[in-house]
Amino acid sequence: MLEVERLESFYGDMQVLRQVSLEVREREIVALFGPNGHGKSTLLKAVSGLQPATSGSIRLRGQEISRLPAHETVGMGLAYIPEERHLFPDMTVSENLNLGAYTPSAHGKKKENLEFVYDIFPRLAERRSQLCSTLSGGESRMVAIGRGLMSGASLLMVDEPSLGLAPGLKQGVFDAIATINRERGITILLVEQEIEHGLELADRIYLFKKGQILFERAAEEVNVEEIEQAYF
Amino acid sequence: MESFVNALVSALTTGSLYAIMALGLTIIYGVSRVFNFGHGIVAVLSAYFTWLFLGQLNLGLLPSILLSLPIMALFGWLVYRYSINPLLHKPNWEFSTVLFMLGLGILLENVILQVLGPRVKSIPVFFAGSLSIGFVRIAWHEISLILIVVLALVALNVFFRHTRTGQAMRAVAQSIPGARVVGIDVERIFGYTFALAFAATGFSGILLGTKYYMTPHIGWDWMVKGFVIVTFGGLGSTTGAIYAALILGLVEALVTLYLGAIWVWPIWFAIFIVVLLLRPQGIAGGRM
Repeated sequence: MLEVERLESFYGDMQVLRQVSLEVREREIVALFGPNGHGKSTLLKAVSGLQPATSGSIRLRGQEISRLPAHETVGMGLAYIPEERHLFPDMTVSENLNLGAYTPSAHGKKKENLEFVYDIFPRLAERRSQLCSTLSGGESRMVAIGRGLMSGASLLMVDEPSLGLAPGLKQGVFDAIATINRERGITILLVEQEIEHGLELADRIYLFKKGQILFERAAEEVNVEEIEQAYF
Repeated sequence: MESFVNALVSALTTGSLYAIMALGLTIIYGVSRVFNFGHGIVAVLSAYFTWLFLGQLNLGLLPSILLSLPIMALFGWLVYRYSINPLLHKPNWEFSTVLFMLGLGILLENVILQVLGPRVKSIPVFFAGSLSIGFVRIAWHEISLILIVVLALVALNVFFRHTRTGQAMRAVAQSIPGARVVGIDVERIFGYTFALAFAATGFSGILLGTKYYMTPHIGWDWMVKGFVIVTFGGLGSTTGAIYAALILGLVEALVTLYLGAIWVWPIWFAIFIVVLLLRPQGIAGGRM
């Protein structure tokens, strides 16, 4: 579904992505592990169009999207859920979710998607008229994921969804991701630091270090220690 | 007592005009963070267009107004697309955009001066005569101005809350990365914002032109007052701007009544300084 081939990107003079190649197949959950600051978020941003790709190719269902700006990739079924969330603070939960369905392609299924979001995140249904600036960390994560779902995306790229959350909430987020994948058949590309949870969820994993892919494994063929060791 | 009530009525009219005037400034700043130093000239330009269509082309009052507004909107979009947008991508854009709009203001002021001359002009009132209730006398025109402004504010509110583009503008005002992530074309929204803001400011200029005399230079007065209002109300907050406009309209009316018109400008500046010193984020200090 998503094919990234020899992707490169720079921040000014600094190369952040080096010849990155990976793929995500339909209905899979792929986890991207690796030390902080090595470019995992940049990779996701480059795929979504928020960060320019200097060379290489990104194909979504066979279509080349590497030169497209962010607002166009969303309309094609790709949603990026940033670690910083970037919610609209002075709007309510429901207004934020509504805006998630901004692109024309999301209009048709808006009601259905909204019901699904409130289904997997009942807390959001309770707080639907609350301003997002008043939400807790876990709740704003839910809104961010929900907003991505509202776009009707078939591929969700989620950047560290459990970061900063209490253990109970972390599990909730991972369960939600599993449900999204299982019940809606939505493909997931996940960046995570919670290696154990990530391995449980994922079908395949990639290890990303210093701007490059180090290796790829099927999730069952690798364990937490191996991955942790690869960090150093 | 009589003059006090009349002053209150006058304050309501002035405050309303100031409200619609300040909104144009607030909208641009709120969404794009560009502080429009061409605010005054946009208002003046629009008033002069209306005057021109009325006098030279002999169109009716309403058609003249209705023709000026889309022209101002288009002008706003063009200014954004061909000048502000390129500047935003370069370093020091906060400074360069201010300089650019200031320069554009001076240029246009002098163009108007050359083409239409320095003599004061005005736009005719919408209704003649006045209404008397007891000792209070209010011109029908002033009543119409207040109603028009209220309608315009309601319309804008509906636009921002219930239309897709209006919501997109609020989204961009609150989080540009968030807006990109949901698929909003931020540059396109900036363009629409400038168009809307120039139309709103232009509309306020026309209304002001029916109450006050117009010269090419009066834009600077309106601009400064606009700055004080949006600072007082809280940069980027539309509700703040409206409250501030009404309060300052009231202050101006009372100052004129009890101290004399000559104190109006010093009081405006005094308020500006006090706000900046004590509460620079303004009444609302928030966002759209």
